[in-house]
Amino acid sequence: MKEQIIDLKGEMSLLTVLVLHSGNMHSISTALETKCQQASQFLERSPIIIDCQLLGETGLELDFVELKLQVSKLGLVPVGLRNLWEEAEAKALAAGWALLRPSKQQPTANIPPVTEVNLTPEYPEAVQRLLVLDRPVRSGQQVYCPYGDIVVLQHTSAGSELLAGGSVHVYGALRGRVLAGIQGDIQARIFCERLEAELIAIAGRYRLLDEIESNLKGQSVMIYLDQEKLKIVPI
Amino acid sequence: MSRIVVVTSGKGGVGKTTTSAAFATGLALKGYKTAVIDFDVGLRNLDLIMGCERRVVYDFINVISGEANIKQALIKDKRSDNLFILPASQTRDKDALTQDGVEKVLKDLTDDGFDFIVCDSPAGIERGAALAMYFADDAIIVTNPEVSSVRDSDRILGLLQSRTRKAERGENIHEHLLITRYSPARVASGDMLAMEDILEILAVPLIGVIPESVSVLQASNSGVPVILDKESTAGQAYDDFVRRFLGETVPHRFLEVEKKGLFKRLFGG
Repeated sequence: MKEQIIDLKGEMSLLTVLVLHSGNMHSISTALETKCQQASQFLERSPIIIDCQLLGETGLELDFVELKLQVSKLGLVPVGLRNLWEEAEAKALAAGWALLRPSKQQPTANIPPVTEVNLTPEYPEAVQRLLVLDRPVRSGQQVYCPYGDIVVLQHTSAGSELLAGGSVHVYGALRGRVLAGIQGDIQARIFCERLEAELIAIAGRYRLLDEIESNLKGQSVMIYLDQEKLKIVPI
Repeated sequence: MSRIVVVTSGKGGVGKTTTSAAFATGLALKGYKTAVIDFDVGLRNLDLIMGCERRVVYDFINVISGEANIKQALIKDKRSDNLFILPASQTRDKDALTQDGVEKVLKDLTDDGFDFIVCDSPAGIERGAALAMYFADDAIIVTNPEVSSVRDSDRILGLLQSRTRKAERGENIHEHLLITRYSPARVASGDMLAMEDILEILAVPLIGVIPESVSVLQASNSGVPVILDKESTAGQAYDDFVRRFLGETVPHRFLEVEKKGLFKRLFGG
């Protein structure tokens, strides 16, 4: 077999990015010098990418030869430029810079601080929020309502399956499997007139009916999630 | 227009073919021009139960593949001028059935002026069973008082609501539950599911209960549909069932344990 000498791979590596706020070469070198003194250990011989997005049109005025010189002088290894104003590209290439494809992310300086975490999942527009069935759910049938509640006005049979992103209500005997909160909604609940289910689950926590206290079998119950435990209470 | 009735169950051995034969014969005896089609391609049985196995020349598959026309393949029943049997092929398998072919055969029968077309479904939920039910207007769901049979019937009911032409058009098939091999004595002793339990699980209108009877096996073996055995409880129950299907109100019979009289107790019965 022929021995492989080299491999060409597209890979992501962690690099330091220098974001320029000004095109003035003199202020850049001063600022850079100060930074390098503060963190000489950290920055020495580290490859660096120059991000020119904030410069916009003023990127044209940048002295690319001088920039490369200054960066190298401070012990950094210049890798390339990115987010450069299009008209300045030829100039940068002539100065021996590599041009990098723009990153999808905004420069770190522009990322708004995270103030709140959106807890409620965002539903796409026009999804079904309620599915009402007026016929029995038969063995082998699967009813799926990924973002809403399921209401069955009849019974469900052994070997049937109800899958709801929200809650499930069964106005009859519940005999099959029933999974509520399948997108992880821990507040989803299951209600039924007669509990005879094979398996019940809310947000991935499941129980088999075999394990359930026999005094609840055949009863009208509500099932909800209390911490990590499925609670079944008569109603 | 012909009324197309599928006799189905999911589970095998519950009495679909016995029921198809009795039902079709009963309809014909009441004066309706009736055809009964065996959809169990490869396991041809209906002709045996109907007692016409020696008169099969062409079969259902021959008609579908254009090797014979429907008139050549239909076997006229010996006992009724109104009854015709379309046997299955024994040498082929269910893949030979096509939806277009089945539709064409049903259309030919409709054009011929048949009042009822009874489709005897094979067991299972595969191609043969799927095509037997696809064009149906009515479904007779045959169930034994036994949990696995009830569960399979439930599955079939689900398919009837989704995999039929009527369902695809947003209409409903008329579902009728027929409980066969019912033994009140075994229900009383707790060995068998009671009629009420089956109805509770399936929630489908009951059209008849056929009691367990030795006459069913005798009838099958002799090739005479059991409905013609007027002495047997099963024959009478099948007759009640046909009358109910045709719209009569007939009370259900043979649901209680038969009380043995002194004579029967002394000499057995």
